[in-house]
Order: sequence, then C-alpha cells, then structure tokens
Amino acid sequence: MTSAVIIILREVLEAMVLICTLMATARALKLNLKWLPFAIAAGIAGALTFAMLLESISEMFDGFGQEIVNSCLLMLVALTLALHNFLALREVTASERAKSRTRLIWVMSAAVAMAMTWEGAEIYLYVYSYGVLAGESLPVLSGAAIGAGIGFSIGTFFYYGLRMLTPRLCLYVCTVFIVIISAGMVSQVALYMSQADILTSQGPVWDTSNFISETSLLGELLHASIGYEANPTLNQLLLCMGFGALALGAMVFALMLNSKEEGA
Amino acid sequence: MRLELERFDVSGIRGIFVKRVVCVVMALYAASVVAQTPEIEIEIREHLFYPSEVVVPAGQKVKLIIYNRDATPEEFESYELNREKVIMGSGRGVVFIGPLKAGVYPFFGEFNLKTAQGKIVVE
Repeated sequence: MTSAVIIILREVLEAMVLICTLMATARALKLNLKWLPFAIAAGIAGALTFAMLLESISEMFDGFGQEIVNSCLLMLVALTLALHNFLALREVTASERAKSRTRLIWVMSAAVAMAMTWEGAEIYLYVYSYGVLAGESLPVLSGAAIGAGIGFSIGTFFYYGLRMLTPRLCLYVCTVFIVIISAGMVSQVALYMSQADILTSQGPVWDTSNFISETSLLGELLHASIGYEANPTLNQLLLCMGFGALALGAMVFALMLNSKEEGA
Repeated sequence: MRLELERFDVSGIRGIFVKRVVCVVMALYAASVVAQTPEIEIEIREHLFYPSEVVVPAGQKVKLIIYNRDATPEEFESYELNREKVIMGSGRGVVFIGPLKAGVYPFFGEFNLKTAQGKIVVE
C-alpha cells in the first residue's frame, strides 16, 4: 500500500502544483474557474489515450518513442506556459479585454490538459495493471486514494496560500513560479535525449544529493514542485537557463507593452 | 590510353599509397567495431531484476536492454543515473547510460519499490 501512496502522490503533486498556480493566477485576474473542469476532463481523456497507446508509442523511433513523445509534450507544455505568462501579464492593462481573456482561458486549459496527460497515464497504468488486473485491488486502490488525498490537500494549502497575497503580487509570484516549473520540464528533455542517445551523455555538473537527496521527502517535494535535480548535467542546465531566459524575456516584454499603453 | 592505365596502376609508388590508405581505413573500421557500445541485458521476473547487480566499465557508454517478463508494466528508474522509462508488460526497453565515473548507481522499479531493486557498479 505504501508504494501505491508514494507513486500516486508523486504524480498528483506534480499536476496539482501547476493546476493550483494557474487557478491562483486566474483568480488574481478575476477570471472565473468554469474552464477548469473541462480542462481536467480533457487531461483525463488525454491520459487514457496516452496510456492505451503507450505500447505502440514505446516501439516507435527504434524503441525510443517514449523519450521523443514525452520530450515533445514537455516542450509544448513549457511553451504554452510561457505564452500564458505573457498573456496573463498583458491582461492587467489589456485594452481588448474580452478577446484576450478568451485567449488566456484557452491557453490555461491547454496547459492543464497537456500537463495531466503524462502524469495521468502513469497513474492509470499503475492502478489498472496492479489494482485491477493483478488483483491487489484493496491495497492499491486504498493507497491510491490516500496518495491522491495528500496531494489534493497540499494543493489546497498551496492555492489558499497564494490567494492570501494581493492580486498583483499573487500574479507576479505565480508567473515567476510557472517559469521555474516549466524550466524544470524543459531540463527533463535533456535527460530523455541522452537516455535515447540523441544527445551525448554527460556527467553531472554538481551533486547535492548529500545535501538534499532526491529520495528524501523534501527532495521528492522539491522534485515534484519545481523539478529539483540533485545531479544535473550541463545539457540540462543549458536548456533550463535558455528556456528561463526566453520565458522571463516574454514577461518583461509584456510589462514593457503595458507601461507603453499606460503612458499613451 | 597510357595515361589512364597509369592512373589505375597500383603496383607503383602510388599503388603502395593506395594500399596503405585502404589498410588504415580497414583498421579504423575494425577499431570502431571493437569499441562498439557494450550491451547489457537485464530481465524483470516476478518484480525482481535479474541480474540485480551489473558491472560496467568506467568512462564508457553502455546500452541497457531491459526485458519485462511479467505481464504487468514496470518503470525502470534511477535518480543517480537520471533515467526513467516505462517497460510495458512482456515488453522491452532500451536505455543508454554513461559514460560514468567509478561508483555504485542504484536503480529500481517504481511500481514495485520493495522488491525491484538493483545497482550498476562502475569500475
């Protein structure tokens, strides 16, 4: 049962951190959350489809289909999130309110649905094959429920924590946090690429596993929330920083456009 | 006509040069075959890794081929190796690792943490 708790908690937490940050951003911009159930439903549908196709995906590209499809998915989510940040910051003073709101809601929904796809597929694979097929229903399903419960609780605390900030501050904190989350996603692409031998493998640049081990509770939490890596490679760091610069650049650009409009 | 014959004559000094080039190319090819990435096969049976300890050379890229003999899927994962891959039930997965420094790199099956444990020993 404990392994079920850990597996589900890890996946739920990763999705919850992102969903709660987007929810807080939406509320800071006084957007309602009517889009969220639809986005989550789309995410579940995506996860089920992904899990069903995983066998064929795994065999694609000389057996490296998982690495390539996951990398594309991660890049797509990260870019969608960068676009989200740009639109969210523009929203503060956007002149064409109604139009940009709809755009922002679509972008948020897409990010939630795509981010849930891989996490959800892993949960489905585990719960279905161990809980249903292998007949260990009670320990797996109760463990999964506990794991999901803890994940949702942490998410709720996190969401209300963000909501305690003033709307403007909440918006800035959320967008910066989204940059950190998405840069972590992009750095994961470097690992998949070296796992598939597309990028040359490298040794770690540093190793902080003695300080915060990825197997410790804090390490797991940090990994799930901000993509903490105890021993990152150079490719990981370069992708992470490159993407971070791009995403922050987009945010600065949005703020510059805002101040220009305000001045005019 | 004479000129053309000379061009294809491999018995003169030029011929020796051509033969040497051919030898070097063949030697390089042979060397590349010898230095091919070593392959290591690991099996998953009853949620256990066989072998659970694998020794690989330091400073060299290694190709791990993981066969899942169980009907249930497994996720091959290692924090130290920075690797993560789902191996479907009765399926096969390839993971490249290294070049690595000497040391011990644990790996595990995420879906069966209690039993599916193994390590790569790099020497």
